[in-house]
Amino acid sequence: MAIECLVLGAGQEVGKSCVVVTINDKKIMFDCGMHMGYLDHRRYPDFSLISKSGDFTNSLTCIVVTHFHLDHIGALPYFTEVCGYNGPIYMTYPTKALAPLMLEDYRKVMVDRRGEEEQFSSEQILECMKKVTAVDLKQTVQVDKDLQIRAYYAGHVLGAAMFYARVGDVAIVYTGDYNMTPDRHLGAAQIDRLQLDLVITESTYATTYRDSKYAREREFLKAVHKCVAGGGKVLIPTFALGRAQELCMLLDDYWERMNLKVPIYFSAGLTVQANMYYKMLINWTSQKVKDTYATRNAFDFKHVCSFDRSLINAPGPCVLFATPGMISGGFSLEVFKQWAPYEGNLVTLPGYCVAGTVGHRLMSAKTPAQINIDQDTQIDVRCQIHQLSFSPHTDAKGILDLVKFLSPKHVILVHGEKPKMATLKEKIQSQMGIQCFDPANNETVSIPSTHYVKAVASDALLQSSLSPNLKFIRKCSERGSDFGGLDARTKPGLKVFR
Amino acid sequence: METICTTDSNDMDEMRLLLRNVSKFCVRPSLLLTVLLGFTKDPYPNIREVALDGLVELSSCIVVEDQSLIEGCYFRAVELLFDCEDSVRRSAVCAVSEWGRLLVACNQDQSKKEWSDTVFVQLCSMVRDMDMKLRVVAFDALGKIRMVSEDILLQTLCKKALPATKEKTYCGQLTAKLLTLPASAAAFAFVHGLEDEFHEVRRSACRSLCMLTAVSAEFASEAVNILMDMLNDDSVVVRLQALETIHFMAISDHLKVEEAHLHMFLGTLLDRSDSIRSAARNTLQSIKLRNLAMFRLAIDALMKNLEFYPQDEADLFLVIFKLGRTHGKFVGSIIREVFQELEPSFEGKLAFDNARTVALLVLAISVPVSFERRICTVPPQTFSYAVIQLGRISRGLFDVVNQDTLLAYLSHCSRFSLVSDSEFFKGEEPALQLEKSDVLLCQKSNDTSEAHLTSPLLDSLANLHDRVTSCAKIVLRKISDIWRLIDLGCMGEVIQTLRSWKEELSKFTSDSPQTVGVLAFALQYIHVIKLLGKVWTRILSSRNLRYHGMGVLEVLLGKIDKRLQDMRYRFIGLSREEELHLLEIMLLSCVLRLSYLETCNLEASLKKICTISSRVENLCKEEAIELSNFILDLQKLLCEIGNSSDGVFENIYLLQKSLKSFSLRQIVLSGEIKHLEAELNVLDNDFQNPLPFISGLPVGIPFEITLYNLTSEKRLWLTMTVDGTSPQFVFLDLHEFEGCDEIRKFTFVAPFYGTPRVTYFSLKVCIAMECLSEDVQLFKDYEGPKPELSFLCKEIEVHLSTPVK
Ligand SMILES: [Zn+2]
Repeated sequence: MAIECLVLGAGQEVGKSCVVVTINDKKIMFDCGMHMGYLDHRRYPDFSLISKSGDFTNSLTCIVVTHFHLDHIGALPYFTEVCGYNGPIYMTYPTKALAPLMLEDYRKVMVDRRGEEEQFSSEQILECMKKVTAVDLKQTVQVDKDLQIRAYYAGHVLGAAMFYARVGDVAIVYTGDYNMTPDRHLGAAQIDRLQLDLVITESTYATTYRDSKYAREREFLKAVHKCVAGGGKVLIPTFALGRAQELCMLLDDYWERMNLKVPIYFSAGLTVQANMYYKMLINWTSQKVKDTYATRNAFDFKHVCSFDRSLINAPGPCVLFATPGMISGGFSLEVFKQWAPYEGNLVTLPGYCVAGTVGHRLMSAKTPAQINIDQDTQIDVRCQIHQLSFSPHTDAKGILDLVKFLSPKHVILVHGEKPKMATLKEKIQSQMGIQCFDPANNETVSIPSTHYVKAVASDALLQSSLSPNLKFIRKCSERGSDFGGLDARTKPGLKVFR
Repeated sequence: METICTTDSNDMDEMRLLLRNVSKFCVRPSLLLTVLLGFTKDPYPNIREVALDGLVELSSCIVVEDQSLIEGCYFRAVELLFDCEDSVRRSAVCAVSEWGRLLVACNQDQSKKEWSDTVFVQLCSMVRDMDMKLRVVAFDALGKIRMVSEDILLQTLCKKALPATKEKTYCGQLTAKLLTLPASAAAFAFVHGLEDEFHEVRRSACRSLCMLTAVSAEFASEAVNILMDMLNDDSVVVRLQALETIHFMAISDHLKVEEAHLHMFLGTLLDRSDSIRSAARNTLQSIKLRNLAMFRLAIDALMKNLEFYPQDEADLFLVIFKLGRTHGKFVGSIIREVFQELEPSFEGKLAFDNARTVALLVLAISVPVSFERRICTVPPQTFSYAVIQLGRISRGLFDVVNQDTLLAYLSHCSRFSLVSDSEFFKGEEPALQLEKSDVLLCQKSNDTSEAHLTSPLLDSLANLHDRVTSCAKIVLRKISDIWRLIDLGCMGEVIQTLRSWKEELSKFTSDSPQTVGVLAFALQYIHVIKLLGKVWTRILSSRNLRYHGMGVLEVLLGKIDKRLQDMRYRFIGLSREEELHLLEIMLLSCVLRLSYLETCNLEASLKKICTISSRVENLCKEEAIELSNFILDLQKLLCEIGNSSDGVFENIYLLQKSLKSFSLRQIVLSGEIKHLEAELNVLDNDFQNPLPFISGLPVGIPFEITLYNLTSEKRLWLTMTVDGTSPQFVFLDLHEFEGCDEIRKFTFVAPFYGTPRVTYFSLKVCIAMECLSEDVQLFKDYEGPKPELSFLCKEIEVHLSTPVK
């Protein structure tokens, strides 16, 4: 029996994650993402490779979606509503709850702002989501009589999961995006030690070795504290979900401990809704959030109040969270224009900004600098700029740690940059002795699988207890003797002193 | 055996029970091990788990001298680190830890180090396991390891393989299949633990880290960076542990605080949790801040602490006082800046309601007792301001000094301002003024920190003898002032003062026997006070007792007793007052021994106290001197102990209480003191020129002996010792040698009988005198010396060798 992996997306690139794995006659599609960098046919995986006829419902056993990011779920409404896939779809409860928001948000941006042709309508998103079966963590789902799947916690974003799939004796894990280091609001990835033929893992940071998260937190808090202590205003542009909650928890906690009275604001709309989801999905957050839940919901931020436009020019220090994250427009840009010219203020930037956004230009700018917003508007930027280095992805050490822990027979790397993946692949093969692949898009990797011979428990027990014929793997003793038949008469150096 | 072979669940439970109690069986241990090892391969995880637990239990109650057997158990446990079941892996970690310990124990030197590193790295490889409890167990186990290479330790804080560990591998397993263990498996282990999702793991990692910072200073200095960041942890328990770890590093002198650390560290002074703030202050007071900027940050943070949490006031004062004492040179500049705040306003009222002002006063008054050598001026009127706030300040400083002493100290310092207008603080140590003459013993505030004896009157004194004697007398009289500083716990200051006096006195040389005697007595006395001061400070601060242990105390008290005995018997011409003085210190030493040393012989000590105290009473009666409070308290106490049925044990706290009433009386040298001394020499003898001897036969050694001030009825002995054997004594009958009592010089050939069967040996020789006190009867026919001996000279070494034929 062999495993076939057809990589439809995220092969040697980041974007449109989609891997179709065939075990026996079962075909599972892991993730159904879109590529944000393309506007032509390349934005979707080439689904025709699954079935020439276009009968996807019969070609695929099921679809498994790991989390709500568009590069993992963006093509799903297209695939179900336009391409006509009608089979089972699995994702975790939070992903099912949050995915429509993300998809709708994306649709709006494409259609309303950029005036593009609509790929799918709001109704289609809802129709698509109706076909989804929500699963819980560690719940074993029997897709059909041969195929079992199970979700494991992946960190990364709310609801993100790794998926285990088993057909007969063949078992694999598809990780999706994951994080091996916990942050304030999400835990670290958590999985059992399983007997696996294959692990398909993301490799976004295949060669990065990140420093302790405490250093990142400290730098952030120090910059913010310094700014407000000097009477300045802090602008934190973020996306609605994820980083906003993380940073807010960090600040709220710090404010609480340090007895700071400076107000923290959430721009209206941002987060009120998102925070609500977090509160509902408390089980999917970090251990600390769960621990304190009994006494207080960590997402009931004590020091946070909602922002009113009139406060933009109010005197005195404050901290403001505003969307969108890369200051590409909207409220965060509006506030940025007002606050940037003052030296005492501070603007934080997310770790990654798309080219063309104000955020991207600020990353390379040295203040004071002149930034052109458009033809008519130029801003004199004099404020402090702090680059955040928080990331929801694991680094190279984390990937290696996970592979070491799972010790599968084979590894396939996806969701990364080609040269870095090659480096990591080499490491996995040389350090761990595990065969590793990094296929490009539309390539297929075939993996032989072996049968596990299951010992019948009682027989083996009988054997081991009746004749304890012990054999040790002797790793380094030059004397290298066998311990079979130990006896006190031949081992005089043995005394009991109790 | 047959019953446990079935898979029936009842039998399974039975078997688990059986394995759990493995150490209680009367089965040959080797057989037991064999059985357990067999079960570690069982297909049932439960059985594998209990088999491992059994191995762990056996490891603690078995002595295995066969290393290959230990290795066998160890490597079987290592294999099971990769089991599919969490519980089995957990037990395997314990087994690896325990059998690893045995493995390390049965090796020596290099291989011991190697095995210790091996076990350490193997355990490090488990800290990324997905099971939370396992990670806790793994970190607990790491903390138990006492010997780890510095390279490996540094690797646990660094993610990338360090050059030093890159190529290294150990015996062990990285995965179920990879049968070598690269040193890089330890990479980032501690940081992973410290940033774990579960506070249980973070705490365990932090605790183990604490233990290991003691192993390597380099590791400690790296670890402090992340520890400071841990202070931002969301769990109080973890923050506390981090502070404790930093504190431990500080007191074990492995802490280097950088300015960059202070933001996070001082932030904990404002923490909402009382216990965190208290731990932060406790840590801060043992930290050394390198520059004024850092010290200023610390003081500012303490002031903020006071502002936000006024309830911390008392504790804050103590910390400020202690911090000021260790950073005297910075306090001056801070006080000068804020001095206006301390000054009274126009109405003559002091703006003292402000806690901040009082805190600054506390800081200011810490200066004169500072350990620092160079101290900037603190305006003396500050001390009178502080007197007004005495109650408030003394509540805070309760641990260090009681209110009376504080008042005495403050008025002492402020009085100087009246007399000499802040002259006091120009010097590093209190200037010593003599009332009668204008002889002034004062220390100049120069950097060489040398003390000078200067006075026009002194210089004009023609008679050297008089000059030396008066200097010594001045010093001795002033020592009682030093006691106040000792009582305050300012040992650093005291030791430096005493040392400078000692240096000053040692500069005098004289041939006059009286002068020599006085000088010797003064030097000995200074030494005793120094030792006593050390004991006193150790007892004042329980913290020191804990970390330096009882051993040091015992050694110190032993030295004191020896010195006191020397002083009592090696000086003749002591007046009764002087003897009384020494006896009182002897009593103090006895009481200290009785109240703080568990090892001391209760009855003997008590008897000694009674003997001495009755002698003191007699002396006082004869001389019509009042008994000191200390002696009075002590006598009362002895009565109580005698009458009570509780015995001494129950009354130890009473004894300790009596110590409070002790204060050093002024010693006034009155008589002509002579020092009993001896010189011992063997001509032309050293390592290259040994005396000849024949093994097994006695050898005669020609000693040149000079005795000073020894009358012929003194009983002297030559003690001769070969290393590791008991000494041989030879009696010196002074009647047989010519000379007068002042000086007696002669050659004496002493026989040594116990020549060992070697071709070369050296003999340690000394002259000892029997100490004959009044209460010990003299037996003329007594063979060998009396048990109490006082040595009169430095021990010399005599070299002997068999002549080459
Ligand atoms: Zn993602």
